[in-house]
Amino acid sequence: MTAQPGTIGVRIQAPATEIAVQREVATTIEQSSAAIEVHELSAYYGAKLAVREVTFNARQRAVTAIIGPSGSGKSTVLRALNRMLEVIPGARISGSVRFHGIDLYGAEIDPAAVRRTIGMVFQQPNPFPTMSIYDNVAAAARFNGVIKGRQAADDLVEACLVRAALWDEVKDNLGKSGASLSGGQQQRLCIARALAVNPEVILMDEPCSALDPIATLQIEQLARELAEQYSIVIVTHNMQQAARVSDETIFMSVDEARAGYVVETGSTAEIFTNPKNTITEDYITGRFG
Amino acid sequence: MSAETLLRRTSAGRGRTDRIVFALCLIAGAIALVPLAAVLYYLLAEGLKAWSPSFLISKPGGITTKGGGIVNAIIGTLEMTGLGLVIAVPFGVAVALYVVEYRAGRMAIIVRTAVDLVAGIPSIVIGLFVYSLVVLTMGHFSGLAGAIALSLVMLPIIARTSEEMFKIIPRRLREGTMALGMPRWRALFAIYLPTVAAGIMTGIVLAVSRAVGETAPLLFTALGSNFVVTDITQPMSALPLYMFQNAQNIGFPAARERAWAAGLTLVAIVLIFNVLGRWLASRTQIRLLQR
Repeated sequence: MTAQPGTIGVRIQAPATEIAVQREVATTIEQSSAAIEVHELSAYYGAKLAVREVTFNARQRAVTAIIGPSGSGKSTVLRALNRMLEVIPGARISGSVRFHGIDLYGAEIDPAAVRRTIGMVFQQPNPFPTMSIYDNVAAAARFNGVIKGRQAADDLVEACLVRAALWDEVKDNLGKSGASLSGGQQQRLCIARALAVNPEVILMDEPCSALDPIATLQIEQLARELAEQYSIVIVTHNMQQAARVSDETIFMSVDEARAGYVVETGSTAEIFTNPKNTITEDYITGRFG
Repeated sequence: MSAETLLRRTSAGRGRTDRIVFALCLIAGAIALVPLAAVLYYLLAEGLKAWSPSFLISKPGGITTKGGGIVNAIIGTLEMTGLGLVIAVPFGVAVALYVVEYRAGRMAIIVRTAVDLVAGIPSIVIGLFVYSLVVLTMGHFSGLAGAIALSLVMLPIIARTSEEMFKIIPRRLREGTMALGMPRWRALFAIYLPTVAAGIMTGIVLAVSRAVGETAPLLFTALGSNFVVTDITQPMSALPLYMFQNAQNIGFPAARERAWAAGLTLVAIVLIFNVLGRWLASRTQIRLLQR
């Protein structure tokens, strides 16, 4: 289940290129500790500039938090990382997003393959309402050809639910509807579902904003555990959450033209104890935001 | 202005006007109910004269004599509506999928408008169209031609209802499938269709309740028959055709009573389908709201 160098699921349509790219991946993984490198990324909704020239790295097997006030483009940036931004009509980007050195916006890249490799968990838990807990986890993996056969599916479902810290609560009710679970359980089910397609990175878009404090803590703890095997990028407007879960923090703000930009990046400890920028300091100490 | 003046009733006239308007609305509502009540009263009063359980399962007798049943019409209605559904459901759902999921700009608008226009075509024109297309080609009237005509009546209803259903699939569900890198067609069949299945069923049920009552499209297609026919390539009867043929013989009370009894059966069927459709619709709404 863990990502193996060289088997990263960025499937390129031409087989020959695939091999070449995989080799390239194998070497770059050893060289670079960044899973995702964002370089001068700007995002637009129609003609409106929403995010202005954002540059940062998301470290491998670490939790990177994107924090900042509303409208600073946190979710926009996050969505650009797995090409989920372009599903919003009118949205487009400039600049580059690299995954282990591969340009995710390259002409030969399949967006669906990018999304399998870089999974996503949303603000509102969104389990498939007509499917059982079991099928919620197994379905996408089956459709994507990750698994074949009953035994493999059973094993995968158990492994993903265990990893998403949900197995003990649902193991006797795998046939129940995914929609019957509590909000926090649904969100962990969505995490299990994302894990089932064998991603290397997991993006979380304010995953706790619809949850109560106890469910929030569970998700935060889960994010920490998952970071041992996956690279995680989490958007939150809860600064305490960022401080609790993340290793690195990217602080974004919004300028006079209402475009988001990165104010400061650095290790979470540093950003929260010794911010270099006064805007960061003001935000963190609660003076605005 | 003091608080007291603000809060006091402004004038007795206002309350009176309000009561008058309310009474007028009530009267209008009551008048609107009169035709419905009258139709139902006549249906029951006249229909029950010839109606009995055996009426449903007996073969028709002579037009002018008493007795005989509508089993041929019920078989014809079931067969033609059923075959019409087999044609209309896949096409209707596919059109809806195309318009909502694969909306390719102008083409989708054209398709959608075309569906609306078909819905607006008087059903007798559909009958004439199928007559030219199928009956003249085959050389004779048939249940098949009737089924095709009924499918054209049902198609726009199914397409429009399905379209509305696909439209209300929440964005977060769509994004959930996309974020897993699922191929779109997989998401369509595995996630979207089951999610809105009950809603599509509602459309199907409404289309059926419309089609079983249609007479005009069957007049020059299925034609009608006084025999029990199951062969779809032959002319066959249907409940509205049976009513039409019996009611024409206005001079014979037995035929007129049978027409009423068939009408009562038809209305009962339509009513059952309508209630079923509404029940299914309410269930879909509940499910979609829960999410």
